Amino acid sequence: MTWDRRTEDRAAAIVGRYPEKRSAVMPLLYLAMAEDGYLSEDGMRRVAQLTGLSNAQVQGVASFYTMYKRDGVGEYLVSVCTSISCMLLGGDDVLDAVAAETGVADGETGEDGLFSVEHGECIGACGGAPALQVNYELIEGVTPDHGRALCRWLAENRPAVVRGDDLQERFGGRRSFDWGPVEAGGATGAVPAFGPLGTAGEGS
Amino acid sequence: MAEQPTLVTITVDGKPAQVPAGTLLIEAVKAAGVHIPHFCYHPRMKPVGMCRMCLIEVEGPRGMLLTTSCTTPVADGMAVHTESDTVKKAQEGVLEFLLLNHPLDCPVCDRGGECPLQDQTMACGPGESRMVEEKRHYPKPIPISDLVLLDRERCILCARCTRFSDEISGDPLIEFKGRGNAVEVNTFPDEPFASYFSGNTVQICPVGALTATPYRFRARPWDLEAVESTCPHCSVGCRISVQSSRNQVLRFMGVDNGPTNQGWLCDKGRFGFEYLGSPQRLAAPLIRNADGVLQEAAWSDALDLVAERLGALAAGGPDVVAGLGGARGTNEEAFAFGKFLRETLGTNNLDAQLGDGLDARLLAGITARGTIDDLERARTVLVWAPDLKEELPVLYLRVRRAATELGARLIVVHPRETGLDPVAAHTIRYRPGAGTELLRRLADGSGDLAEARRALGEGPVVAIVGRPGAGDDPRLAEAVLAFAAGLPGATLLPVTRRSNVYGAADMGLDPGLLPGRVAAPAGTGGRDAAGIIEGLIAGEVAGLVLLGADPVADYLEPARAAAALEAASFTVAIGLFLDESAAMADVVLPALGFAEVEGTVTNLEGRVQKVNRLLPGPAGARPTHEILEDIARRMGGSIGAASAEALAAEMAATAPAYAGITWEALSWGEGRRGIVAPGPAGSQPLVHAPEDHAPPPVGRNLVLHLARVLYDQGTLTQAGPSLAKLARPAAAHVHPEDATRFGIPAGATVRVTGSGGSVELPTVFDPSLVAGTVYLPLHCGASIGAGLEITMEAVS
Ligand code: SF4
Ligand code: SF4
Ligand code: FES
Ligand code: FES
Repeated sequence: MTWDRRTEDRAAAIVGRYPEKRSAVMPLLYLAMAEDGYLSEDGMRRVAQLTGLSNAQVQGVASFYTMYKRDGVGEYLVSVCTSISCMLLGGDDVLDAVAAETGVADGETGEDGLFSVEHGECIGACGGAPALQVNYELIEGVTPDHGRALCRWLAENRPAVVRGDDLQERFGGRRSFDWGPVEAGGATGAVPAFGPLGTAGEGS
Repeated sequence: MAEQPTLVTITVDGKPAQVPAGTLLIEAVKAAGVHIPHFCYHPRMKPVGMCRMCLIEVEGPRGMLLTTSCTTPVADGMAVHTESDTVKKAQEGVLEFLLLNHPLDCPVCDRGGECPLQDQTMACGPGESRMVEEKRHYPKPIPISDLVLLDRERCILCARCTRFSDEISGDPLIEFKGRGNAVEVNTFPDEPFASYFSGNTVQICPVGALTATPYRFRARPWDLEAVESTCPHCSVGCRISVQSSRNQVLRFMGVDNGPTNQGWLCDKGRFGFEYLGSPQRLAAPLIRNADGVLQEAAWSDALDLVAERLGALAAGGPDVVAGLGGARGTNEEAFAFGKFLRETLGTNNLDAQLGDGLDARLLAGITARGTIDDLERARTVLVWAPDLKEELPVLYLRVRRAATELGARLIVVHPRETGLDPVAAHTIRYRPGAGTELLRRLADGSGDLAEARRALGEGPVVAIVGRPGAGDDPRLAEAVLAFAAGLPGATLLPVTRRSNVYGAADMGLDPGLLPGRVAAPAGTGGRDAAGIIEGLIAGEVAGLVLLGADPVADYLEPARAAAALEAASFTVAIGLFLDESAAMADVVLPALGFAEVEGTVTNLEGRVQKVNRLLPGPAGARPTHEILEDIARRMGGSIGAASAEALAAEMAATAPAYAGITWEALSWGEGRRGIVAPGPAGSQPLVHAPEDHAPPPVGRNLVLHLARVLYDQGTLTQAGPSLAKLARPAAAHVHPEDATRFGIPAGATVRVTGSGGSVELPTVFDPSLVAGTVYLPLHCGASIGAGLEITMEAVS
């Protein structure tokens, strides 16, 4: 299997950035995921061919990191942190609320493909706990009610792009002191935009 | 030869010890007599420090430090403590962690009784677990290949199996999957662990997570009887432990013999024991009756008949009878066979090979013969030989190690891609028949071969040379060896596959050789395999003795061999199975086989090793030397074979290269690793000068590359259910350009016609071939002879 011309060119550019082909495995996996909307077996096979790793080795990397989705995800991936700080401040209740509002259980995707819900490990926002992410855009100080309202709003408005600042404004609570600058673009799906890090194989 | 390592002084538990410098603490401490419990560390693989079982305390500037002894190199003056309270507490803690999710199903686990986890838990573990939560559960077991089963919840994630597959065998089809509590070893979906070396992971798994289908639930370790021996499946001669219960071999385990297998086995060797207990084994002599049907008979009747018929034929002259075989048994059997043919029957028509290997004079008489261990020191390795991964798999592992771990530059010359190509610095392809031309260009370093030629100028060079395919002229290998002999620091390994073909050559089973690597006097005469087969067809040879040889299936022109047996007026087949040739014989005599007789075998480096007896074998079968002696006695002679050991003593006394290589010497201490019989320099000078030969013109025609694969339709492979199902159906490998040229669509069936007939096969496109070449696997149920030139056409 090969991808279309444009994707193959990007893949070649990514591989070209590293002295060892195998070092390109992670950005290539994002590329494969962007291609199919999730990390398909064919996508992993192609990454194996491009890196000289075996399929099993690529699967090993892909299955280690939770942000590589090997099953399809909904339009909005809601990741609720349940690690220690968030757990102490009610993260599990937020998760329950989000699951109840969307009708999608932890680790699942709804039948209509709108929401995926998952619990996450610490997302680096302990100071603003409890925190959650929509398509990896961060919102802090989220109560169960906030979580429910957030999901309702997403379902009603279906924004094509979600932006952390915007969501924080609408549904967030107390922020941590080190709330950093937010990426201008926002998120269009569950595949993180890895372009700004210079690993996307575009331009250069 | 071993260099004396420099020693450093360390203190182990307060006692000073001298240990080799540069080793890891775990090994250094072992050299000082202290065993450190460990799981992930394996002396033949790189350390990873994953299991934490090997923690010991090392004194340092900041006080005592708990350190993994498998990852820490020893240093002069180091003081370590292996039994302190801290160490004990650490060991208990590690074991409690490792057992958190462990199912403790030892009573139904194959590994129970020989399980490092069980043993070390008993020795160093806490009495009880504090884990009260539910453990992980998985469906169990899951097959990860036809041979290997995985019980994931027993796995302690030591990565021995995955490291073996990556580092040693180079086919990482298994890898850790998932994260945290959910990590497991697994394959890619739909891509099973179909490695030729998968059984090694079962052997080195320190728990019962990986088990082998042929052994699962068959025995408990404490019920097994074991004897050390040598693998009977190819000429690498890996050291094994043969293990049986109630007179049935249940498994082979690799024994670490540094100079040869370094502990590893290929799966064909490891699981190739089932044929011994096959219900198809011959258990009584067979005589062809008046209706032409082979019928069971008494031994005395069968032997009488053989003696009478062979005696009558042999009286007609030395050329009328002939013997084929002897390359799969022991040296003692080969020696007895040679004596029987030469002394009792008075013929010099004898050949252990079937024209598919190398000249026996070359195998026995090569100068500058190397050892496998020369690969440890090689700067450059030249492999112009069969695909080692398919034919001599553990030699493939050793060459791979030289190229990946030891920095040797590897040059592989073959008509298509081989298992070694991924680690080769240079891969050179040629069209069968054009090898001499290529050799000339390589020797000159012309054009694109300049780099490879430069590498060959940097010694020490090890040259592994054989016939890449059946169609390659054996004289090409001789020419390559002659070229390689002139390279700096060169040692040579002429390779051919049949397990004891080197021993058979050393025992003189060739018209040109006498026992002990001695050339037969000039003008001795005698026919080789091709001469015997053609002689039978022409009626010049009338009687044939087969010893474990099956020319009707194995000869490169099977139709000729069948015609020869058809034409023979009397054939006796001595062997284990009623194979295709035995089915055409007049008398079939059942012999005892591997693990049923004691003796010695000689591997491709001339290393003589012991094989030992563990089983009685089928009730009606007898040892080969006894069968031959009984026939000889009925003919009024004797080959003096009172026992195999007596034959061995006679060999050691009369065969120059085997002087002093007695069973006694091979049974103890260093001798268990085998003794390399001294080369021709030490005995009889014998230089086989290669002849020049011109490849036949190939023009626009296709040429055939006919080569073996590991799992084929061979009798021994097919008689064991585990390996039989691994044989793949044959396909014709066609270069895409040729497919276009001959109008063959992908996946089409083609008819290929060669020197010995034609066959219809599905096609596979193989761009690794040189255009103009078609590759067929040998012995995969389709034979068209071995002639170089073939034709091919698509059939609808
Ligand atoms: S691996 Fe098997 S024998 Fe070892 S402790 Fe586990 S269940 Fe018991
Ligand atoms: S299966 Fe065995 S060898 Fe492989 S990681 Fe698990 S315990 Fe180690
Ligand atoms: S614990 Fe939730 S963000 Fe760190
Ligand atoms: S043996 Fe040292 S960490 Fe496993």
